[in-house]
Amino acid sequence: MSLTEAETATAVRPATWRRGRGARGARSGSTSRSRLARRRRRAGILLSLPAVALVIALLGLPVGQAVYYSMTQWDGLTTTWIGPSTYTALFKDPIFWRVLENNGLLLLAVPFAIGIPLAIAALLHEHVRGWRFFRSVYFLPTAISWVVIGMFALRFFSATGVLNGLLAHVGFGSSATDMLANEHSALAALAITFIWSMVGTNTIIFLTGMATLDPTLTEAARVDGLSRPKIFFRVTLPLLTRFIQFSFVITVISAFSALFSLIFVMTSGGPGFGTTTLEFFIYQAGFQQVQLGTAALYGVILFVIMAIAGLVQLRLIRPDDGGGW
Amino acid sequence: MVLFILMVAVAVVMMYPFWYIVDNAFRSAGQYDRQSGHSLSGWNQLFANLPVAGELLNSTLVCVAAIAIILVVSTTAGFAFAKLRYRGSGMVFLLVVSALMVPLQSILFPEFVNLSNVHLTSSYVGAVLVYAALGAPFATFLMATYYRGISDELIEAAVMDGLGYERTFLQIAIPLSLPAIATITVLQFIQIWDDLLVGLFFLPTSQRTITAGLATLSTGRTTSVPALMAGSLISAIPAIVVYLIFQRHLVKGLTLGMGK
Repeated sequence: MSLTEAETATAVRPATWRRGRGARGARSGSTSRSRLARRRRRAGILLSLPAVALVIALLGLPVGQAVYYSMTQWDGLTTTWIGPSTYTALFKDPIFWRVLENNGLLLLAVPFAIGIPLAIAALLHEHVRGWRFFRSVYFLPTAISWVVIGMFALRFFSATGVLNGLLAHVGFGSSATDMLANEHSALAALAITFIWSMVGTNTIIFLTGMATLDPTLTEAARVDGLSRPKIFFRVTLPLLTRFIQFSFVITVISAFSALFSLIFVMTSGGPGFGTTTLEFFIYQAGFQQVQLGTAALYGVILFVIMAIAGLVQLRLIRPDDGGGW
Repeated sequence: MVLFILMVAVAVVMMYPFWYIVDNAFRSAGQYDRQSGHSLSGWNQLFANLPVAGELLNSTLVCVAAIAIILVVSTTAGFAFAKLRYRGSGMVFLLVVSALMVPLQSILFPEFVNLSNVHLTSSYVGAVLVYAALGAPFATFLMATYYRGISDELIEAAVMDGLGYERTFLQIAIPLSLPAIATITVLQFIQIWDDLLVGLFFLPTSQRTITAGLATLSTGRTTSVPALMAGSLISAIPAIVVYLIFQRHLVKGLTLGMGK
């Protein structure tokens, strides 16, 4: 019903809006116009208020509190002020560097989490028979919870799991080990699971990018006698820069702030500190050790890293007109 | 032909976990160890250990309530930022959108203490509000981008005709933006349905979502693998169904805002 009203509005009123526009162009400044401007401003403030209130109350305010609590000792009830020295103490704390190292090592997965989807997207872009079906299949894991993915990964990497079964099959039977029982291999298992999970999202981003390319460019390159790989690396890839940057930021943000569920299900941060990343250590410090001040401190560090990544992202998703910024 | 084989190979890698989950959900613990034979004993154990129906209902209620709030605040604010600019509205928009970069982990404990101080963590309300706040920035960005594409003249004409800004929003802008609304709904549904952190922290045990319930069941270590696979399967099905039906909206939401 409201749809038809909208249609009527567009169909019947062209004369009116032309008049309205004329009045605005002439800047007549009549009382009715300024009343309208006032009402418009009031409506604008009123309509943006709920979103602003929600975001400030539930995201902005707690960020401020986290900064405050990061300089205290806090168990949820009593707070003891310590001051900015918590930060200098943090930078001397070997646990902090151990946790940060895990985050750093996870970054090593990023090139794979981008390169593999890039290759898959190039494959799909050839539009071989059934490519739409394959696209749906590749993208499906995006709809699946990290919890469920972790459930599978736990069994996949375990000593009696699928991976060792596979390895035994091709003759590496003696090396059957539980990847999740060793600090380094546990992190590697986590990284591999992460790469697998990012395939859908990044493939779609690159496929969207490739769809925007002018097909005559690759056509011309082909006529010039360039081979397929050369066309991909010299023509397609440079034109995809923006999309690669975008997926890079998304991948880094995910690596640092979306793996909680995966770690929770697969390793609980172990063995030792093997898979304890910043985001997981916040949970451990707060929930298991009830050192909420320390949790807030790590939270602020994570927030700063995410804010830097986020600023890059905001620059990348800036709308083309730039008018609203 | 080589390309086709490659695509099949990738498909196998992407689908294998699903096959594994389905295959092993229908086994008993013994059948799982031997990797042969099928039965429903995993399902029996799952239903004995996890209030599946109740948690599916919890997930649904939390999703519906949070998405409703997200849609209300993002359509109104998106419209205001795109069509009803006032002095400083650009800054306010930037403030809302920059909340995108706040990871919940960073503010987990202040948020929890705040919400329990006002007694909102003993019901759905706290979790719903947190989900709404986490989803609102991107949804607002999406709606503002969408409304920028609608001509100013159309809006002005409706206002001049006496509809007023509020009714212009409800009767003209909202119907025109149904595709963007659908995108936000699908994107948020999958995000909230699949989430663990909020469900784990901000909901009382009796009102846990299926994803949070499943994750805590898995840390118990007493539950057999087939039961966990059965739980994984049943918790994933709603999200998969939504994905299969609304795939296009999901893809659009993911890539929107990157420019053409």
